[in-house]
Formats: sequence, structure tokens, C-alpha cells
Amino acid sequence: MKEQETTEKPMTEQDFSLNLEDLRPRPAEKRHLSDYFMPPRHSFIIFHPDRCTGCGTCEMICSTRNVEKVAPVSASVKVVRDEKEGKNFSILCQHCRKPLCLPACPTRAIEKGEDGIVRIDKLFCTECGLCTMACPAAAPIKDPGSQEIHKCDLCEGDPLCVKHCPENALTFTRGKTFRWIKGLRWTSQLISFLLLVMVFIGTFCYFRTGSVSFACPTGTLQNIASSGTIVLVGVSSALALLILTVLAGRLFCGWVCPFGFVLDLVDKITPKKLGWPSFLKSRMTKYGVLAGAVGGSYALGFQVFCTVCPIGTLCRAYGVQSFFKSAELAIIPALASLEIGERRSWCRYFCPVGAVLGLTALLRLIKIVIGAKRCKKFSCIQCAEVCPVEIIDADKLREGLSPKIPMTECIMCMRCIDRCPYDAAKIRFRWQKAVPGEVKT
Amino acid sequence: MNPFQPFYNMKMGVVDLSASSAEVIPLDQEQVSRYLGGAAMNSAILEGYQTDALVFGTGPLTGSFAPASSLMIASFASPIFKRLCHIPLMLRTGPDMKFSGVDYLVVKGTAPEQSILHVNHGKIRILPAGNLQHLPVPEAMRELKKTFPAFQSVIITGPAADRGVSYASVSIGINGSLDKAGLATRMAAKNLKGIMLGGTDGLPFNRDNPAQGKELEKIISKEKNFKHRGFYSVLKMLEGGKDAGQFLKAERKKDMACYHCPSPCMTHVRYSWRDPGKKEVKKSEEGLLLLDHTGCIALAKKAGKNILPVLRACLRNGLDPAAVAEMLPQGQTLPDYLNAIDKIVSDNPPRMTDPSEAQRLFGGGVPPILTGDLLEKRVALAMVLGVCPVILLRFPQITDAALLSFISAREDVLKTLQDGLSSAISSLISPL
Repeated sequence: MKEQETTEKPMTEQDFSLNLEDLRPRPAEKRHLSDYFMPPRHSFIIFHPDRCTGCGTCEMICSTRNVEKVAPVSASVKVVRDEKEGKNFSILCQHCRKPLCLPACPTRAIEKGEDGIVRIDKLFCTECGLCTMACPAAAPIKDPGSQEIHKCDLCEGDPLCVKHCPENALTFTRGKTFRWIKGLRWTSQLISFLLLVMVFIGTFCYFRTGSVSFACPTGTLQNIASSGTIVLVGVSSALALLILTVLAGRLFCGWVCPFGFVLDLVDKITPKKLGWPSFLKSRMTKYGVLAGAVGGSYALGFQVFCTVCPIGTLCRAYGVQSFFKSAELAIIPALASLEIGERRSWCRYFCPVGAVLGLTALLRLIKIVIGAKRCKKFSCIQCAEVCPVEIIDADKLREGLSPKIPMTECIMCMRCIDRCPYDAAKIRFRWQKAVPGEVKT
Repeated sequence: MNPFQPFYNMKMGVVDLSASSAEVIPLDQEQVSRYLGGAAMNSAILEGYQTDALVFGTGPLTGSFAPASSLMIASFASPIFKRLCHIPLMLRTGPDMKFSGVDYLVVKGTAPEQSILHVNHGKIRILPAGNLQHLPVPEAMRELKKTFPAFQSVIITGPAADRGVSYASVSIGINGSLDKAGLATRMAAKNLKGIMLGGTDGLPFNRDNPAQGKELEKIISKEKNFKHRGFYSVLKMLEGGKDAGQFLKAERKKDMACYHCPSPCMTHVRYSWRDPGKKEVKKSEEGLLLLDHTGCIALAKKAGKNILPVLRACLRNGLDPAAVAEMLPQGQTLPDYLNAIDKIVSDNPPRMTDPSEAQRLFGGGVPPILTGDLLEKRVALAMVLGVCPVILLRFPQITDAALLSFISAREDVLKTLQDGLSSAISSLISPL
């Protein structure tokens, strides 16, 4: 009887308070072998602001799942209606690849499942609301009535809001939707690879038929340095690639370069990146490599860099004679292995061909612009996530500011344009000041 | 078992502004069974109060998964039409009223000072609103958001009502409304600036409702009319609408819908204009939600290409565009029109034309897409069940049986509901 009395003692406020020792330790990041070969799944709902009429059906149906009644404020999706501007926005969890709500939660109640869905474990949630503050899209929504935190869990893969939206303003993607620019780019890269490596072997470095000639601009620079003479035909041969760069930026790097294609393929099988120490991450290095290549050629009297150039090596590799060049060919896996650090590491930091094209891109006619006004309410920052050379400032986007994209670094792969669900990334002429979503005054 | 239980909070708020008191009382279940709700129920409730009382009510389907279940109905003795009028208030006001915990709200007496009501969690608060007096509607809205408790929807009057103009019209947020019967004037006479709806609760409704709603949506989506959406499509169905549409060309348009409406009849337009009152050379960008079809047709006849800035001036002042159009001269410049509107607000001239009987009953704002008995019956059906009248006028496939099936699938209950609905509709339109 005595024991019963002690157990029935009412609990005090201290019993419920959260102490440091109560915090759940963050689980170690699990890495499976499959992670290195299969890209992580990224399921989310795409919101089309142009289609949304602000009827609120998504809120209604979502709330019936959350609280078993129609209560729009208890939904995991929120429609924000800008009455003056006549725009509707949807606040909805993007199930980010690197969710900011996850480290913000003191009780580790938020976890990202292997299916890519970010969920809140109600058992551990203390309704502190830190996740709502950490999320750039404010997607975890605090119920003003019950104070509970509601967050989209994609209805476990079959979202009701998508099914019930009368305007089809919400579409569900498992991250495997076909994107036409992506299809076009891979096709272009494959055809270029086949043509440059297997058909017109060695023609990337120098090629001449009749009065038409083509030469690698970096090779031409080294040739001039090593021979000490400027041959007009050689210079004019190098102009083709430079003119393409003036017209369309570094399109060659993103769409044609055979070594870039190899790097993109290697990236597919090594989705997890180890990163490089910051002292190695200077984009100016490639200009140093270019200067070194030209200076070395001048000093030694031959084209120094061409002996180790991965593009040239690849373009000369196919055929019987390649068996005798196995030492030279070793440069390709060696440089491709840089992909385990960062995507397109070679292109970002070392490629002298990219350096020449980057300098030429200073005269480019076009640019890529991202209108943060069009996407700031969502801050999905998918453009920054997909950029292989990481030149899109995600922090600026989160602040609602349009980031300036350095076109000398941009390889014009157009992944940002392809991926943006809000049509905020566009190609513009360099003199155009209009940014998507910003009204001209 | 009461079939209305999941559809209503079964609560009614009674506010006595004279005594500065508010109470929430249970809804008379028998009355609900008899009149179902909406305008019919409002009329029944109004009988128990003084003639100057205002009743704001919802229908049983308001807030539910029935298509366009957005309606709140305001019933009162119109100072313009000198009879009982029912005004449809759309956007999200109806659901937000229900989700604030009361289904009906009776406002009686006159407040000693300018006041505003805040309804939430089934409680009503009377708050002083002296700082909102004479403020244009957008400025008043800004002030409301800054200094008052959080709300989802608001019904507010403008400076025209504050000055006792009989053409005043209430505004839902900054968007105006279909009030052409003087609700704003009546509210202003009570020193009632507006009603804020918190809308933080909810109602369970029926579990089958989402599927039923989707099914009904599929049926109406097969209709040819379904593709013609937005303000202009409805405008074209009305007399003089095509001509008015020509003047409503704006730089950017976007169709907007009320609560759970599958076929929007409103359009948000953006246009640039130069305010003649200011010496700025630059044009400024303005946005307007076009929802008042009859008002726009009337205004287009007078203001022509200046319709959007003139409409903006009407909405800022909380004026009925149709009534303003009667007073405006034809073929004037924009500054003349804006001056004329300022004069209307200060002088309060008498009304000229006389609307039809049906238009009188429903406040004159419902676009007459149909004519005669059919118009009256369809609008009355919408006003009883709490569904948008425009969608019922556009889609005859949304029958009363289809709507009642949201309340109950049982045949015996459905028959009782059908009888109740018929008597509610006839009680509503019999005085015509």
C-alpha cells in the first residue's frame, strides 16, 4: 500500500522540464554501400503559383488527415494570399536534401527517412517551434489552437493535396521526372563524346580540312609560347570555340567537353562527396595552371600541358595505338577521381581550357539570372543544390535576394533552369536588367 | 440524431453593442431542422430581435467539401430597398466564421464608440476601433493587422460608411463585396466598424465528403462552361458584359477562387496608372480583385477606359461601384471622376434607379446569369445551404439533391432534408 502511495505522487513541473541530458544524441550518419551508387531519393511536391487560385482545398484536405476535421490552420500546407499583388504562395515542406530543421530540433524529433521524407516524431516533439524558425520556407507550421507542429510527410508517398487540388497546382515528384534540358544535354554530351573520341579521333586538339581549321585555344596559346611565332591560321582556328563562348558562355564545358561527360558519369556513381580543404578551393588556381602551361611551353619549347591534358588524351585514346599509351591514359582516372571531393573539381579549380573560356566569357552576350522574388517564399534552393560548380549563393536566395551568377565560372549546363519549379531561373542578354518576378518600374 | 451536428458548431453569438456585451448561446435545433440554415435561418432568427438587428449566418454546407462552400449571408432591413435583404459574402468569410466557433452572429443595439468584433474559439470580443475611423480600406486593413488580434478574414466598412453615405458597401479585406443594399450603412449606424474572424478551429463534417466533392467536381468539369473561367467569362454572360470587358484589359491577370471553388469567377488584375492628384511622373502599379460583375458593367458604361482607377477609388472608400456609376457623368477625365467620387462621399446624394424585386432580396450583387424563377430558386438554394450562388447559376448539374447528399446519404434523412429545403426556399422567395 505504501508503495502505491508513493507512485501516485503528482508530477511536478520539473518532472516535465527538458534538461541537457535529456536531449537525444544525433544518430551517426548511416552510409550504405548503395549510397555511393544510387543517388538519394528526393520526393517532394512542386507548387505551380501560376495555376493556384487560392481556393484552399489543399489546406482543407490536409487538415482532415492531421486533425480529422476541416481546420485550415491545422494543415501542413499553408496558402499565403497576397491580396494586393494577386499572388498565391504555398508554404510546403520541400524535404530538402540537407534539411535545416533537422539539426535545429533539440530533441531530434525530426528525421529524414531512407525514402527521402522528412518526418516529425510526435512522441519526441516538445512543440518548441525551433524547426519553424530554422526552415527557410517556414514549412513546419505551428497550430495556433493546439500549438502542435504540423509538417508535411507527403501522406507517406501519396499526397492528398495533390489529388484534390482542382487546378493541378500541386504535382508530386519522386525526383525522377524527365526534364527536357537534361535529356538534351546528356544527348549532346554523348554525341560529342562519340564524335570526338571515336570518330574524329584527335581532332579536338587540331583539325584542318581545306581552308577550314579548328584548334584548342589553350593548345594554340602554348604553341605560340613554345614556337615564339604567331601563325594567323592557328589563331583563327582557335577562334571557333572562343566565338561560341562569347555567344553562349562556357557552353562547351557543359554540353560538349568529352572529359566533362566522363566527370558527369563518375559523379553519378559517387553521389556522396567528401569535400576539399578550403585552401585547395581557389577558383583562381586554373588561371595559375594556364599561366604555368604557357610559361612552361615558352621555357621548354614544347606544349607542356598538352602532354597531360585529359581532354586531348581522351580524344586521342581510341584505337590500336592507345594500348601503347596506357601511362598517358592513367591521367583520366586520376583526374576523374577528384570527383569524390566535389562535383566537377577539375573544371572548377584546375582546367586551363576552362580558364581560357572563362576569360573569354567576360565578353559573353548572355547570362543566367535567378529571380529570388519569384521563389523567395519557397526558398527551395534546388538551383543551388544542382549546380555542379556551386556558384549559386543559396544564402542570398534564402534572404530573398537574387544571387549574381559569375558567368566566367558558369558552365552553362542549365541544370538550374531545368530544375527550378517556379520558372525563376532564366537566360537573359547581359544588358537586360529585368529579373524574373521583379516588376519593371 | 441530428444530421447537422458535424456541419454546425450549434452555437450562435449574440452581441448587444449598447450594453457592450456578447454571449454565445446554443442554436435552436428545431429551428435548424426547419430552416436548414443560411438566409432562411437568418430570417427566422431576425424575427426574435429588433428590426435594426443584423444577422450574419452560414449554411450547413459552408466550409465543407461541397463545391464553393464559401458563403456567409448577412440579413438585415435594407435602408436602401426598405425591406429585408440577404447579402452574399464570399471569399473565405463563411468558413472562417464557422471555424471561429459560431454559426450565426446577431448584432443588436448601437455601440457608444466605434467598435470592431473579434470572433474566435467560440468567443466574441468587442474592441474599440476609433483609430480606424475615416481611414481608407487598405490603410484600415494595415492598421488592423498591426494593432489587433490575428484573424483570417475581416468584413470592414470604409470612410463612406463612416460618413453615413447610403451607397456605402462593406469590404471583405481590401477586395470589396456584393453588398448593394446598405449593409455598410447599417453597420456604421451601429458604430460597428467590422467583424474579424479568427478561424482557428475546425469542424469534422462527413468522412465521405472529400470523395463526394471530387465526384461532383468531375461532373461539372465535363460541362463546356467549366473551361470558361475567371471574371471575364462570367461578365460575357451578362447584358453589357462584353462591352465592359473591353475596358478591363490590364497588364496582368490571374483568376482567383473563393474557398474550395473549382471554377473561379474572380480575376485579379494589375495595371499601371498615374495618380492625377500627385505630381509624380512615374506610373504606379496597382492590383485589384474583380469580383463584382454587375458593379463593373455599370461602372464601365460611365468611366470607360478609366474603369480600373475609378473602381479602385470606390473600393478604397468602401462604395458600391454600381451606385457610384449612377452618379458619375459620362465621358469625363480621370481627375473629374475621382473628384466626383470624393464629392459622393462628402455629399451623400440620393439613389436614382430602382432594382428588380429579386435583386432587392439578394442585395443586388448576384450576377443575373439566369432569369426569372430559375434565378430566384438557384440563388435561394445557394443562400440556404451556404454555397456560392454564382457557381450554382453557372452549373445546373449541381442539383439540390447532390448538395444535400453531403449532409447525409440516408434516404429517409435526405427526404426530410429535401422537404425542409423546399419550404426554406419557398419561405425565402415567397414575399417576391
